Amino acid sequence: MREVAVPDIGDFKEVEVIEVLVKPGDAIAAEQSLITVESDKATMEIPAPGAGVVKELRIKVGDKVSQGTPILVLEESGAAPAPAPPVAVPAQKAVAPAPVPAATTSEPMTVKVPDIGDFKDIEVIEVLVKPGDSVAKEQSLITLESDKATMEIPSPAAGVVQEIRLKTGDKVSEGAVILVMKAGAAAPAAAAAPAVVAAPVVAAAVRAPVPVEPQEATHAKPHASPSVRKFARELGVDLVRVKGSGPKGRILHADVQAFVKGALAAVPAAAPAAKGGALPFNLPAWPDVDFAKFGPVEAKPLSRLQKLSGPNLHRNWVSIPHVTQFDEADITDLEAFRKSNTAETEKQGFKLTMLAFMIKACVTALRQHPNFNSSLDRTGENLVLKKYYNIGVAVDTPDGLVVPVVRDADRKGVFDVAKELSEISKLARDKKLKPGDMQGGTFSISSLGGIGGTAFTPIINAPEVAILGVSKSALRPVWNGKEFAPRLMLPLSLSYDHRVLDGAAAARFTAYLASVLGDIRRTLL
Amino acid sequence: MAELDCDVVVLGSGPGGYSAAFRAADLGLKTVLVERYPVLGGVCLNVGCIPSKALLHTAAVMDAARGLADHGIAFGEPKVELAKLRAFKEKVVGKLTGGLAAMAKMRKVTVVQGVGAFTGPNQLTVEGKEKTAVRFAKAIIAAGSQAAKLPFLPEDPRIFDSTGALELKAVPKKMLVIGGGIIGLEMGTVYSTLGTRLDVVEMMDGLMLGADRDLVAVWQKFNAGRFDRVMLKSKTTKAEATKEGIRVSIEGQEPKVYDAILVSVGRTPNGKKIGAEKAGVTVDERGFIPVDSQRRTNVPHIYAIGDIAGNPMLAHKAVHEGHVAAEAAAGQKSHFDARVVPSVAYTDPEIAWVGVTEDEARKSGLKVGVAKFPWAASGRAIANARDEGFTKLILDAATHRLVGGGIVGTGAGDLISELALAVEMGADATDIGKTIHPHPTLGESVGMAAELFEGVCTDMPPQKKK
Repeated sequence: MREVAVPDIGDFKEVEVIEVLVKPGDAIAAEQSLITVESDKATMEIPAPGAGVVKELRIKVGDKVSQGTPILVLEESGAAPAPAPPVAVPAQKAVAPAPVPAATTSEPMTVKVPDIGDFKDIEVIEVLVKPGDSVAKEQSLITLESDKATMEIPSPAAGVVQEIRLKTGDKVSEGAVILVMKAGAAAPAAAAAPAVVAAPVVAAAVRAPVPVEPQEATHAKPHASPSVRKFARELGVDLVRVKGSGPKGRILHADVQAFVKGALAAVPAAAPAAKGGALPFNLPAWPDVDFAKFGPVEAKPLSRLQKLSGPNLHRNWVSIPHVTQFDEADITDLEAFRKSNTAETEKQGFKLTMLAFMIKACVTALRQHPNFNSSLDRTGENLVLKKYYNIGVAVDTPDGLVVPVVRDADRKGVFDVAKELSEISKLARDKKLKPGDMQGGTFSISSLGGIGGTAFTPIINAPEVAILGVSKSALRPVWNGKEFAPRLMLPLSLSYDHRVLDGAAAARFTAYLASVLGDIRRTLL
Repeated sequence: MAELDCDVVVLGSGPGGYSAAFRAADLGLKTVLVERYPVLGGVCLNVGCIPSKALLHTAAVMDAARGLADHGIAFGEPKVELAKLRAFKEKVVGKLTGGLAAMAKMRKVTVVQGVGAFTGPNQLTVEGKEKTAVRFAKAIIAAGSQAAKLPFLPEDPRIFDSTGALELKAVPKKMLVIGGGIIGLEMGTVYSTLGTRLDVVEMMDGLMLGADRDLVAVWQKFNAGRFDRVMLKSKTTKAEATKEGIRVSIEGQEPKVYDAILVSVGRTPNGKKIGAEKAGVTVDERGFIPVDSQRRTNVPHIYAIGDIAGNPMLAHKAVHEGHVAAEAAAGQKSHFDARVVPSVAYTDPEIAWVGVTEDEARKSGLKVGVAKFPWAASGRAIANARDEGFTKLILDAATHRLVGGGIVGTGAGDLISELALAVEMGADATDIGKTIHPHPTLGESVGMAAELFEGVCTDMPPQKKK
């Protein structure tokens, strides 16, 4: 048994636990992530110092932790690669003076450019470490670039960099001195104390952007025999995407067949399934700009909500062919009607908003145009028409966008809807929405009417097929056949999935919706 | 002018060309094969791989017979009848080329003799005894390469390339081999066994570049007696034909007189000699034709294979490419996606290697483990009195999968196939070690090397625990 505590995580104190990744009874491997902590600067995962079984958790989500805070109690497994700590630790403590200083007081060592083949006088294009850095054995120190290739020179040993002897732009050959380092520490001591092991891992994770060996891929080809490769060629299967089920993950004939069957079954709609990634775009690299070169900058991490919603928005934006239909509704009468009823709802403690009427009007329009209340099925060949009307409402919160759902809006009166809206908006702002509150939507409304704007192009909330954007209403002169009359006009922006709906259907939908908003009595028809 | 229409024309009948033509015919395509010489087979069969092996085999047996003196069997000095040796070599070549002609006939491949050159994207003209226009839907260029020449060498019968060397007109007393690559050293071996003293001059820093140095070192030590001088990083600057021999100047050295010069400074692709521009086919500066993984040139219905399509210039690579191109021309989705192409020097001992070499792994930073099984621990190699070699496996450090290997020793070229198969199949050290290799064989050394890597070999002194 051993208590695992938070290792040295740098200067952070009182950082919040945002996720606990293991539970009592779990068998875990060394380096497996145990918890995720989030400071105002970064999110980091704390890895296990050794393998074993979790006996007891000592923290929960929301706790604030610092270095040394106990995380959990671990029953260590003997088979683990870590050299049996229960024995090793006391032993090492007893004889401590011997091995430890031996490692730390070792002679400074000069690291030179090793045999790099026939290359001479090649340019240093990057120095990846700086004095004071601790480096692991094989960690890249510098990057060299000849006219033929780029190569990284790895550290021959673990240690601490004392002095760098070259700089970017220098030309070097075999034998040139790269740096002086104090070798030792880290490596052999290994599992002695959890803090020692974990620290460099966390540090590395945070420091990160050291490029990892690009050559790795040159022989990391799919594990498949020539006959299977031939078969895959015939079917046009990229073996990189096939998971092998044979011995040691070898890709078999049957795996290629299964992949093709799966691909045929999934055709278009399911393509983005895997992590939102795997889309067939081959785009140039993102421009890498050092903004600080042009003026002072500040790094601000995206909120957790933004990080979560971003990939979904991106997936929906790239994988759904969006078209946006613009229209406007004359809500002069509706607004008068709304105002005449606000006093009553205020007494009951909620606001009668235009959005509540919008929801009812949308339900009416959706009933008339059922294809707008649908989703594509997995094959992408059938529409699933929903016989219920759950309307998602995009709510702006300080942390980002959430879309709670007003369920069965068709069976609720305007007052009920208005009341529910005020409740879910409050829940959203207080971050108390439960995942279930945001599921099951059949159509969404994003209203920016309270803020302004004349029109916008909302992104469809997949797997729904349409979303209504509402901008700020304004008094406009409208020709009534005899004269221009001042009318309160509400701009509507309907984005729809063009695979499911065509322009004529969308135009009819918005025209109908406008007519309902123009005379709310139509909701009764 | 005679005219021919066909589905596929193959330009060149070397191993790549005839393989492409035969495969195309087998796939039901009407095929025409153009060859400038009266016999099929190209360089490989006529003046390359095959005749050189006939002579190398003869030389190896001669050397082995001499070696038997140490076993108490003495034959005395051999009598060399060059005419008979030449006849043997011709017979070997004739048997194979004759076989090819017969197989072409059986497949109804039309062979047109003459020099072919494109006259348009769908036509080429063959200048032979008569002129023939060949109209084609698809074409496969397999026009090969030729020995590179050194411009400063005079025209003289005592100066020859590998083709001249194979003619075996005489056994010179003192021969200079210019270029220490595989071809020069193979031919040097033959002449040296027949009695010639050798010097080698090489511009680069080693002989047989491309192979790992440890492999070459074994060969070099074993063959030290054949050479008077091995001059590395040396440049030949001048050669004059004189009555007593060829006087050769090498940078930084006194000029020396040789009875013969073997020029083996590489091969040049024939891309610029086939009217490629008339068909719109791109040829690069050096004469190579760039191709894709189906061996398709920039002109979609024209393919290029073999030496002319890029390095390595090896017959076995060309054959595979020939099949790919023929199948692609027949509309199949064939691609050249072999992971590795093995290389063999048929010297004595042979040197063979495949896949990633240790040098390459070092340069690219690939993390590999190496297992070397010395033939001094192989019963069979000791019994053969040829235990100078070793078998080396190069394995991915993380997965233990074989990524390459090298073998030096008698028959290394025959042993390397197992390594090539293992790489293609993604076999790891345990797969190879757990495959039962027959005892006592040289092939056993492959299994032993794999066991060595996994620390389970019992034919070597106990290993330190990893």
